[in-house]
Amino acid sequence: MNKHVLLVLPSVLIVLFIGIVPTICLINYSVQNPFTDMNAFLGFENFRKVLFDYRVAGALSRNLNFSAAALLIEIPLGVALAKLLYEKSKINTIASIVITIPVLIPPITVGLLWRLLIYESGPFTKFIKMFGIYYNPFRDPSQAFWTAVLVDVWHWTPLVVLVISAALAGMDRSPVLSAKTEGATGWQIFRFIELPAISFPLAFITLLRLIDTLKVYDEPTVMFAGGPGLTTEFLSLYVKKVGIDQWLIGYASALSLIYNFIVLFLCLILVNVLTKGRGLL
Amino acid sequence: MGLTLKSVLKAIVLLTVIFTFVFPIYYMIILSISSPTHIPTGAIYPDFFFGKWYEATSGEWARCITNSLIICSLSVIFNILVTYPAGYVFSRYTFMADRHLFFWFLTNRMAPPAALIVPYLIIWRSLGIWDTYQGTILAYSVFNIPLSVWLFTSFMKNIPKELDEQAFIDGFSLLMYWRKIFIPASLPSIGIVSFFIWLFSWSEMFMSTILTSFNSKPINNLLFITLGRMGSGVEYGLAAAVGVITILPGLILLYWARTFLAKGFTFGRV
Repeated sequence: MNKHVLLVLPSVLIVLFIGIVPTICLINYSVQNPFTDMNAFLGFENFRKVLFDYRVAGALSRNLNFSAAALLIEIPLGVALAKLLYEKSKINTIASIVITIPVLIPPITVGLLWRLLIYESGPFTKFIKMFGIYYNPFRDPSQAFWTAVLVDVWHWTPLVVLVISAALAGMDRSPVLSAKTEGATGWQIFRFIELPAISFPLAFITLLRLIDTLKVYDEPTVMFAGGPGLTTEFLSLYVKKVGIDQWLIGYASALSLIYNFIVLFLCLILVNVLTKGRGLL
Repeated sequence: MGLTLKSVLKAIVLLTVIFTFVFPIYYMIILSISSPTHIPTGAIYPDFFFGKWYEATSGEWARCITNSLIICSLSVIFNILVTYPAGYVFSRYTFMADRHLFFWFLTNRMAPPAALIVPYLIIWRSLGIWDTYQGTILAYSVFNIPLSVWLFTSFMKNIPKELDEQAFIDGFSLLMYWRKIFIPASLPSIGIVSFFIWLFSWSEMFMSTILTSFNSKPINNLLFITLGRMGSGVEYGLAAAVGVITILPGLILLYWARTFLAKGFTFGRV
């Protein structure tokens, strides 16, 4: 082993401190009721409570619905736009520059942008009212949920476009040319040549977006603060509510561990997808 | 090439796309220069009232903007210093459990901040680094360090290993090799990684709302609080002005950054 390998230590030590130490704390807190008068060892009592908490179940199912809705719109839309923007022309260049803007905007500002669009006399509200629909997401639960999905689509479809565009630009074009001379249709070229070529980035970005949508916090919280009712209360927001606002440390720690485990599991799948592609390191 | 139905449809779609992404930003800029009595009319043109811009760049807001700039810049320096050597090691050497270590870095980037925030708050308070620059930067490192390690590794793999071997045979020490050859060769990657560390630190909101309260309060924290108590249209102008400030860095660097943007968000894997 080369002594230069030790240069990796500073990073490892810092991530140990900010990654592993908090996890050990979580495990420790999750089996008791820390910082209360009646602290005692509880075993798995907190975990049992988490599993039977209707608000956890609600937040989880809402979050999964949110992820599914966002991904089902974002991924096909992103691929279609990337295909559309593939040919070089003036308007395509402008569109592909404009489309990168949302990726560079902080999530909190995206929430703010949309909150400005959807208040009573905002342009988006007026636009929807043109179709004769009464639009008030601050009152109507399903409208709030779909607005949150829409904002996520607005924010992150551009990332899908960026990744798929990069993949399309990097692929070998000669099979496409020969398929064209053989008389293949546009759909056939996409389905049998381009789609296999971009399958790795596509799988990667899908899993990445899945993990990110499970962590969604900023935009829905800024727009609706979990309301109306509980319609936009996703997992992160609920953990923050019980952990920080209500200061139920034991319970929040158990919930955090489960939450962490779900994301970690997805992360493991992500990396397995990676290793099948080009190798991890 | 004539004006076919297909090309017209395509142009319409593209114009819709451009409009969809430009209009919300245009509208925010408009609101930031509208007076509080003008906003509730729902007009999509401004009446050029700059009072909110004055408010957004003075007092508490100015202090928080400065804090944000300090935190982001120090984050960049700290993270580059810590992760540049790690990237070098991962791109050059194989050692025991290197793959696992590499994966473990990623899991920290992926872990939901909400699931770590409770122990963070308790540890940060007991160490006395709650609401300080160093504490905030350390907390942000949980997503910055893994990202920059992965990015550095993927960029440095493109620098041929033979360069190292040749230099060490010629009697270079590691430091000398870095100073003379390796750092100049990897300068673009340092720029790109700095950009992403800066961007993600600038965008972070969740941890800052809990781990800072006054001394190191960044702009996102104050914006979040302001949005939380924003009533019916009264503060929209101010919030919009601050919003414009938060998107400025991204917009300024947009043209330069767009070529490698996909790389940073996918950890250099695509």
